[in-house]
Amino acid sequence: MADEKRTLSPMDRVWNFFISVKLAILTLIVLAATSILGTIIEQNQPPEKYHKIYEDWAFALLDRLNLFDMYHSAWFLLMLVLFTVNLFCCTIDRFPKMLKVVRNPRTKLDENLEKTLSLTDRWKKKGNLPEWAGKYAEALSASFAKPKVTEVDGQVHLYAETGVASRFGVYVTHLSIIIIFIGAILGNVLGFKGYVNIPEGEMISKVPVRGGILMQDLGFTVRCNAFSLETYPSGQPKAYKSDLSVIEGGREVARKTIVVNDPLQHKGIWFYQSSYGQAGGATAQVTVSRKDGTPMGALALAANEPVPIDGYGIVRGVNYEQNFQGIGPALQVVVEKPGQPAASFWLVQGRPDLDRQRTDSLVFSFGGLSSKMFTGLQVAKDPGVNIVWLGCALMVIGLIMAFFLSHQRVWVRLAQGTDGRVEVILAGSASRNRLAFEKRFEKLQTGVKAAGQ
Amino acid sequence: MSNVILFNLTTVLFGVASGLYLGALYAKNEKISVFGTWVCALAAVVSTAALGVRWYESYQMGIGRIPVTNLYESLVFFAWSVNLFYLVVERKYRNRTFGGFVMPIAFFTMVFAVYNDSSIQPLVPALQSYWLHAHVITCFVGYAAFAVSAGVALMYLLKARQEEAKISEGVVGLLPACKMLDDLVYRAIIWGFPFLTAGIITGAAWANYAWGTYWSWDPKETWSLIVWLVYAAFLHARVTRGWHGKRAAILSLVGFLATIMCYLGVNLVLSGLHSYGGG
Repeated sequence: MADEKRTLSPMDRVWNFFISVKLAILTLIVLAATSILGTIIEQNQPPEKYHKIYEDWAFALLDRLNLFDMYHSAWFLLMLVLFTVNLFCCTIDRFPKMLKVVRNPRTKLDENLEKTLSLTDRWKKKGNLPEWAGKYAEALSASFAKPKVTEVDGQVHLYAETGVASRFGVYVTHLSIIIIFIGAILGNVLGFKGYVNIPEGEMISKVPVRGGILMQDLGFTVRCNAFSLETYPSGQPKAYKSDLSVIEGGREVARKTIVVNDPLQHKGIWFYQSSYGQAGGATAQVTVSRKDGTPMGALALAANEPVPIDGYGIVRGVNYEQNFQGIGPALQVVVEKPGQPAASFWLVQGRPDLDRQRTDSLVFSFGGLSSKMFTGLQVAKDPGVNIVWLGCALMVIGLIMAFFLSHQRVWVRLAQGTDGRVEVILAGSASRNRLAFEKRFEKLQTGVKAAGQ
Repeated sequence: MSNVILFNLTTVLFGVASGLYLGALYAKNEKISVFGTWVCALAAVVSTAALGVRWYESYQMGIGRIPVTNLYESLVFFAWSVNLFYLVVERKYRNRTFGGFVMPIAFFTMVFAVYNDSSIQPLVPALQSYWLHAHVITCFVGYAAFAVSAGVALMYLLKARQEEAKISEGVVGLLPACKMLDDLVYRAIIWGFPFLTAGIITGAAWANYAWGTYWSWDPKETWSLIVWLVYAAFLHARVTRGWHGKRAAILSLVGFLATIMCYLGVNLVLSGLHSYGGG
């Protein structure tokens, strides 16, 4: 052993390091163990929060080790690279060997092979060898698989196999991991993720990405027509709904009401319902009419913001009371007419008749407060995601192939015995689930023995 | 809530079954454990009915949804899966001694469930998805398989110690041979692993559809990956490096501890998207 090691070139040693399963097990365990850290230390929080939890020295140490964003740290990524390289090298090393074995199976049951097989049976038959060979081949075809027939030195070997695919399971699984990583890298390089708030009635065509450092141009415009919140009778939230329009060249090209778990997609960019809130303060809805009842229009008064009315003056909403003098919700407005002192009065919700008593040229009717909402959307483009799903599908298929299929092989050797009878040896092996194969082999034994009788 | 009454009955049945299996071991009387099997089968019927009734009752309340969406429901679903998985194993291996090691897991899970809020709450918007069904069912079949593997691993460790000392008396003497236990530790994991993998994938697909990110290193996701890595290490050690017996059994127990952490620990100790433990 020692001599052998000394003769290995450094290249071979590096190669042997990368193709070892020991390394694979070690990386799996180390990845598992270190991953725990990031679940105990909350990730990607503002520094102030960490300072509250940790002493200065602990903060410095954890920061130094990148443990506040460990899954994107150089050392963690390096481990993933090592893991992938190991996976890749193992495949390159073992796959061709496996392929060779599968392509050139040992079709002859020689004595060396026979010794390695635990399931064997032997018997003798009167009659001629080719005839029995034909009968046994037929029996194998019927109950197992069509055998390959080889004649050497007067002996006839039958070889049949099923479940060869199980040998590929492990490679499909390993390949799937590499495919998932490729998909993830593509998504990170070519895609983007961002978050944006859109107030009702407003639109956006750019989204801040990479923590707000960059503005990503969408190539089209998205408008939030409305946001609504539905609740269960108990008051718990039932649905967050955003009515979104996609606008291109001034035209609405798509419209959808999205909820959580039902996003909008346009040109590969997805919009996910993520958050909501009140956009700015509430506005008071006030309708205006002439004294004779002719409607003039509607005002939306934000707190203390002056709104001019042509030929009349400036109106401001200055105060709101939930229950004004026991009558109900009311809005206090201030009207400034040119050359006159400012007048202040209250408008009770839904009671324009009360305002008529004020004897002015215009009559105001307070329709209530309405708060404008904004919707919070996750915006994502991920051109690698379908590659990731392909990898995931392959992984499940590969695992099923590897764990639930078994490469089962059966040999029969027929030779002319010294006593003039035909000597028959039946042998079998399975790559996994040997208990189940033993039962199958027993059945096969009786089936083959009974052939031609 | 008639479903809760049925679940309480299930808890009692699991307790009785565990007692019968352990009693059979203690008294070295195979006949007692036959009753254990009947009680397990009855519990399977009752708990399945309970899940059905709970599902139906949620529709009666106008918030119809699958009963696997909060801690109480997930615990009873886990116990339900363990019981079913156990019955399959018992039938296949024709050995009832596993019951004394696996059914207590189901029993204590139910006891824990009883201490949690059992009311049927409506689904928050984030959980309203068809992915919920595929995700929860695959994960829990995986968890149940790992639970069975861990129970058998414990049996193995007891049995192996005795075989080393060349004693075949006492309670442990009734346990199946080491070789069989060792095989079952592995076999349960090769069922659990593809289901866990499918559970992680369906979770990722769901997250992608709900938030636009299939992986965000949320503590739950990370712990599911840790569990996956531990069992992946187990499979590699077993298949290519011939890790059998004691080392394999210990690794199976480590894997199950990680599973418990992933399933309960994350919710009860850490914070994240799956924080049903808080409510």
